[in-house]
Amino acid sequence: MIINARNLVKRYGDLVALDHLSFSVKEGEIFGLLGPNGSGKTTAINCILSLLKYDNGEVEIFGETMTPDAYHIKRNIGIVMQNVAVYNELTVYENIDYFCGLYVRDKNLKKRLVDEAVEFVGLNEFTRFYPKKLSGGLLRRLNIACGFAHRPKLIIMDEPTVAIDPQSRNRILEGILELNREGATIIYTSHYMEEVEKICSRIMILDKGKAIATGTKDELKAMITLGEKITVESYGVTEEQLKRMRSLPNIVSVDYRDQVLEVKSGKGKNNLETVLDFIKKEGIQFGKIYCELPTLNDVFLELTGKELRD
Amino acid sequence: MFAHVFKYRFKCLLRDRWSVFWTLVFPLLLATFFYMAFSNIDKSEIFEPINIAVVDDEQYRNDQAFREALSQASAGDDRLFDLTVASEAEADRLLDENLIDGYILVRSPMKLVVRNSGLKQSIIKSFIDNYVQTVSAVKAILKEDPAAQEGLIRDLANRVKYVREVSATSAEPDNILLYFYSLIAMSCLYGSLMGSREVTDIQADISPVASRVNAAPVHKLKLFICNISAAFVIHFSEMLVLLAYLMFVLRIDFGPRTGFVVLTTFLGSAAGLSFGAFVSALGKKSEGIKIAVIIGVTMLCSFLSGMMYQDMKYIIAQKVPVLSFLNPVNLLTDAFYSLYYYDSLSRYAFNAAALLALTLIFCSSVYLIIRRREYASL
Ligand SMILES: Nc1ncnc2c1ncn2[C@@H]1O[C@H](COP(=O)(O)OP(=O)(O)OP(=O)(O)O)[C@@H](O)[C@H]1O
Ligand SMILES: [Mg+2]
Repeated sequence: MIINARNLVKRYGDLVALDHLSFSVKEGEIFGLLGPNGSGKTTAINCILSLLKYDNGEVEIFGETMTPDAYHIKRNIGIVMQNVAVYNELTVYENIDYFCGLYVRDKNLKKRLVDEAVEFVGLNEFTRFYPKKLSGGLLRRLNIACGFAHRPKLIIMDEPTVAIDPQSRNRILEGILELNREGATIIYTSHYMEEVEKICSRIMILDKGKAIATGTKDELKAMITLGEKITVESYGVTEEQLKRMRSLPNIVSVDYRDQVLEVKSGKGKNNLETVLDFIKKEGIQFGKIYCELPTLNDVFLELTGKELRD
Repeated sequence: MFAHVFKYRFKCLLRDRWSVFWTLVFPLLLATFFYMAFSNIDKSEIFEPINIAVVDDEQYRNDQAFREALSQASAGDDRLFDLTVASEAEADRLLDENLIDGYILVRSPMKLVVRNSGLKQSIIKSFIDNYVQTVSAVKAILKEDPAAQEGLIRDLANRVKYVREVSATSAEPDNILLYFYSLIAMSCLYGSLMGSREVTDIQADISPVASRVNAAPVHKLKLFICNISAAFVIHFSEMLVLLAYLMFVLRIDFGPRTGFVVLTTFLGSAAGLSFGAFVSALGKKSEGIKIAVIIGVTMLCSFLSGMMYQDMKYIIAQKVPVLSFLNPVNLLTDAFYSLYYYDSLSRYAFNAAALLALTLIFCSSVYLIIRRREYASL
């Protein structure tokens, strides 16, 4: 077990930011922390790192209790904070070199690692730039490079891809998978469910400081009653028809808005067939048809009654 | 490891334009500005010797003492008079042609002939009065106590001092020095900008970069000490540059105790850094607010120690003496001042000790605040 957090409680006055949160991260995982803004992701990470004093609970990393002066533990952790944390007076290269140097003493090794990190985030052309001269996305990439240049066993990333364009974002996600393949265990925090769904091997969904569900994405999707979502572009559907449609077997809800018919079905086979048969039988004119499996957003929606995205 | 940290800290601080501006460029500019302002005063009001004549007649030739007094007052760089010895007619002509401001007839009582009245004329007049007074005093004393002669001769020599005081009325070198003392003291206190930054960069609840540093396997206090040493080296060097500029370029004379001046600056630099660290450690306010507070406090301290208005220093010393002991700028200014004006080092030592005490208080408060490595909130 790489991380074992038990019963973490963190209060800010009356606000309970972490409410008896327990979770563990196994070696080799990419563990996703998914939750809306203010759900306590950053707080959880800061508590794990012993940066934040918590009111209750304990944290073990690499099998030992985590404390602020557990340097041998810290040595093997890399962090990418949500807020960009670099020195404005140091260039891209110097920043990475500085932070890497806090972990790695051997000069040659350090140089190699820094060069690799620059390469990894694709900042080769910008090594002599000062952070102020970087665009928001490039700055984020520098922030990432500073966090993992020393090749830690555990990398904790708090929304590393905010403000990065889709192309670079994919590149970074690829990179994270690559780091993971090379043996790093990763904790990945985001409120982008697509990202989490794409790279995380296990996901914990947080809401209001509580873990409301934990598991692989398939496990999470299996937890809810929703089977698939069928969307049909159609014209002139009447109230009467909608009503009849709702009484079809295994259909959970039917919505018709702006000539788009959205049908949610429960778990089970042949849902699409049922819907199509009905449409043909009623002689409803239709255009495109999509069928989607539930997303993590649907999981969140069903578990909490609200959208993950606000 | 610490060489690594030190090196990068050095770079960071030197590339921080604003802190370099306030701690080095601004003091140099202000010093130059002071210098120009004061040398203008010097030029416009520098004392020009007064052109006078004395009528060369029997009485003059017989009055040995007066002749000596006049020739003393008309010799040297800081002389009071440019003296011409002439006949009465010649003296009259010189006066008519405005070549002299007045001439003296040695009579009993002395006679001063002038065409108009003004500062120069009254200086000649007061010179004569002073001479007459001294002579009559000498005569009186000699009548009663002939043995006092020796002391009187020394007294007469004091006339030279009288001459110098008159010629120095507007230049007032002591006051100008005071301005430069406050300037150095103020620059020392601007070191607080660096001290403040050190705390900001190590406290995770103040800056994100500090969170990253706090998560690294480095002892927080050791790192802080390493960082602030770099800051101290830079700031103290800047102060040495300022001192060198004042002494060798502007040729300000700080007296013979240069070693102590440097030592005082050293203490001042430490006091400045620790003060800034203290301000920064007190709260989680934004860096901008802290800089504003620091610059404001420094300006206020400088003002209270008399940088903009000299009498302020004495007003504070009389009305609220506590404030003069708590004001680092004032302690520094006073330390410099006592180095220059007093032979004994006791007043200097008092100031230095008070400064050291302030520094220690700041340092220990900072220590108590930043030694915690877990934060209540981030
Ligand atoms: N320093 C603080 N003082 C008071 N409340 C805080 C503080 N920091 C966080 N909180 C509160 O704690 C809760 C959890 O915040 P946290 O930053 O952990 O959320 P998050 O999941 O990281 O959100 P985001 O997606 O916006 O980063 C929020 O309600 C937030 O308002
Ligand atoms: Mg967050």
